[in-house]
Amino acid sequence: MARIAWGAYSGIIVLFMLTPLVLVVLFSFTDNALTNFPINAFSLHWYRILDANPEFWKAFENSLKVSLGVTLISTVIGTMAAMVLARWRERLANAALLALAAPVTLPALVIGIALLVFFNKVGVPLSLATVIAGHLVITQPFVILIVYARMVNFDYAAVDSARDLGASPWRAFWTVTFPIVSSTVIGAALIALAISLDDFIITFFTIGGGNTLPTFVWGKVRTYLDPSINAIGTILITLTVGSTAIALWISRYRG
Amino acid sequence: MIGPSGAVFLLLFVAPFAFLFVVSFWRKKMFVLEPDFTLVNYSETLADYGWPLAFTLMIAFAIAVLTTVLAFLFAYAIRFHAGRYANALLFVTLITLFGGYLVKIYAWKTILGTEGILNSALLTLGIVDQPLTVFIYNPGAVVVTLTHFLLPLAVLPVFASLRGVREAGLEAARDLGAGATRVFRDIVVPQCLPGIMAAFTFSFLIAAGDYVTPRYVGGPYTSMIGDFIEGQFSLRFDWPAGAAMSFTILGAGLAIIALVRWALGALRPR
Amino acid sequence: MTTVSGGGPGGATPLVRLRGLSKKFGDVAAVQPLDLDIFAGDFFALLGPSGCGKTTLLRMVGGFTPPSTGTVEIDGQDVTRLGPEQRPTNMVFQGYGLFPHMTVRQNIGYGLRIAKASDAEIAERVGAIMTLVRIGELAERRPDALSGGQAQRVALARALVMRPRVLLLDEPLAALDLKLRKQMQEELRRIHQSIGGTFVFVTHDQGEAMGLANRIAVMEAGACVQEGGPEEIYLRPKTRFVSSFIGEANMLAGERRGGTVTLRAGIAFTDAGPDGPVVLVVRPEAIRLDGGTAGLGTTGRLDDVVFLGPYVRYRVTLASGEEIAAHSADTGRRAGMAVGAAVQIGWEAADHRVVAGT
Repeated sequence: MARIAWGAYSGIIVLFMLTPLVLVVLFSFTDNALTNFPINAFSLHWYRILDANPEFWKAFENSLKVSLGVTLISTVIGTMAAMVLARWRERLANAALLALAAPVTLPALVIGIALLVFFNKVGVPLSLATVIAGHLVITQPFVILIVYARMVNFDYAAVDSARDLGASPWRAFWTVTFPIVSSTVIGAALIALAISLDDFIITFFTIGGGNTLPTFVWGKVRTYLDPSINAIGTILITLTVGSTAIALWISRYRG
Repeated sequence: MIGPSGAVFLLLFVAPFAFLFVVSFWRKKMFVLEPDFTLVNYSETLADYGWPLAFTLMIAFAIAVLTTVLAFLFAYAIRFHAGRYANALLFVTLITLFGGYLVKIYAWKTILGTEGILNSALLTLGIVDQPLTVFIYNPGAVVVTLTHFLLPLAVLPVFASLRGVREAGLEAARDLGAGATRVFRDIVVPQCLPGIMAAFTFSFLIAAGDYVTPRYVGGPYTSMIGDFIEGQFSLRFDWPAGAAMSFTILGAGLAIIALVRWALGALRPR
Repeated sequence: MTTVSGGGPGGATPLVRLRGLSKKFGDVAAVQPLDLDIFAGDFFALLGPSGCGKTTLLRMVGGFTPPSTGTVEIDGQDVTRLGPEQRPTNMVFQGYGLFPHMTVRQNIGYGLRIAKASDAEIAERVGAIMTLVRIGELAERRPDALSGGQAQRVALARALVMRPRVLLLDEPLAALDLKLRKQMQEELRRIHQSIGGTFVFVTHDQGEAMGLANRIAVMEAGACVQEGGPEEIYLRPKTRFVSSFIGEANMLAGERRGGTVTLRAGIAFTDAGPDGPVVLVVRPEAIRLDGGTAGLGTTGRLDDVVFLGPYVRYRVTLASGEEIAAHSADTGRRAGMAVGAAVQIGWEAADHRVVAGT
């Protein structure tokens, strides 16, 4: 009896989490003018409309520039920080992690307006560079937390052995340390990529002019229900869910 | 080595945040910011936006409680009842974590709308003969949409803390005479209070600061403070007022979180 | 069905009566139907290798695992369908199962609080039990600040404070290092003597079973193969498995025909019983190396001599290729023994057991 109840509950929650996303993907492949039933026919109609729209391609290009920049920078600096923190005393490291994770807890709205006011004050013109800077604030905590969790269990005897066998510190890092932690680092990088691709609010306040995919969607949600949003949504879902899934698979995450 | 990360944290988070706090005591004169030390922005926030503030705290509280309870039960099911499906359930949770913030809001708008999926399904099935308007443009739609967005985020910290709860402890409690309810209340919940609080804190603050969801599915009577804060920056350019509103909602939010933490402290063992 | 005769006080009613008790997990029989009686005051060991079903049996007594067949009676009352919280048993778990969010005092007082004892009574009983198991100074610590031995004592106190009719212990000493294990063995015996309760524990360590229990049930592959006092089990093992599991034993293969046993090693003697392959079991300390005795004997080649403190261990290979270990407390004699030389070995017929099988 209890088994059935828990199973039913889990099923309902999974449906609740997945259904909206599944519907977006489903309707992106129809030519319905409104997103509702009945479904007319399978069609790439909305993808063709997007393809013909130069603004979409510009937003797509901007999204890739921003996300790849954010991924590269936050992975490098986050990994470096995590490796240092992993050798700190546990209490000190935990305090530092708590502080570094604070931006993730706050509403993105507050981070967005704080950055807008700050960039304005110090005279930095808004551009894709300021968007990248803004994204770093929310992506680097994830990289640090993920890599730190791996590094605290790292067996430094392996590195010491490499040194003992004649490897320079540099060589020991690239031949021993990095191969051991690389799957975790790649996993963290893909999570950073997913967050950056998905971010709308911080981008909105720090971009100045132009669009990324989420702000492009925003412009469309604002006007009226344009089903081409389903197609952009499917592209975003494919990219973010895809990179998350690959990240999980690579790092064998189990919660 | 920790330098670059520290620089990002200090220059792009601490400094802007501190400066925004300073600006909340400034004045706006003729579209120019003027340094000052005045509490006028705060008193005006309370006077002009008292109702949106109160409403935001109430709806965010409701969303956070609902999300945390649903997340706890789901994480509990994964931890103790899912068996070989545990990894699959966890996987679904993780991939929906980053499934598109705006896309999710848009999806709910298309599901709940008057010409939306729910109504067209009900019409097709002949359950109703007129589209229902009760699904969207009300606080309920905001609760559903934000709960959907926040749920994966809340499941993860709760699950992480539930993983630390050992079966032997639960059996020991039963052995000492505790029934199912007492085991739950005395052993399970107190051990994952940190995870529960993390889930509640995330959900509450993010819900309280959201402005996109209420604007698109909330309708005219769902006036949340985030909507007004965003307006101060994109329409009225009154940054000091927007800053004061931001810190007011953050302060009130943190106070409520502290209160909840204190109340849950009653579950600590004697 | 394995039927085991009670070895307790004659005519007394058993405190714990298991009848036809078995457990299947899917198709796997973890415990085959068995009967077992445990009497008040017993310090009872369930002994066997890992996977033999001993923990499952203990958990069925505690109420954590519902049996597939059979009944559990405690104090004359059928408790088969009762959950652990309704049984007059308490368990010391393997890995202890301490509540990490409670102090030692709160851990120990938890059961009494559930039972709605008054604050004064809780304080008094918790204090008394902490004195008994010698952890008084740890009262305000949390489990993660305890050593393995201390955690073990807290788990013991938490169960004992409930004054269980039967205390169940699942591999109570497995997680401790050798020295602590010896200490805790003494502690457990002292506590058992001072409160006079009934303890049932599971172990895979025959030394632990011999050192603690007054009665032992040896389990193999879900069945109870022999049950009795430590001496009986050590001196008169019923099967080859029991003899090899309890202490060290030499095994010599042979065959019985018409009441005469002939060993492959070339020794023959009369021993009544059915025809068929048999194994002769003899303990190393029963083997003598002086030869020319009235008992049984043969010659072999001395392969190894090891001085082990209280005794010397000799290894002898017989003509049949079988190896014999012999322990001798006469440590001075080894000076006259040369490795590689022929030696005479022998033992008294009263010291061996013949069991059927190969």
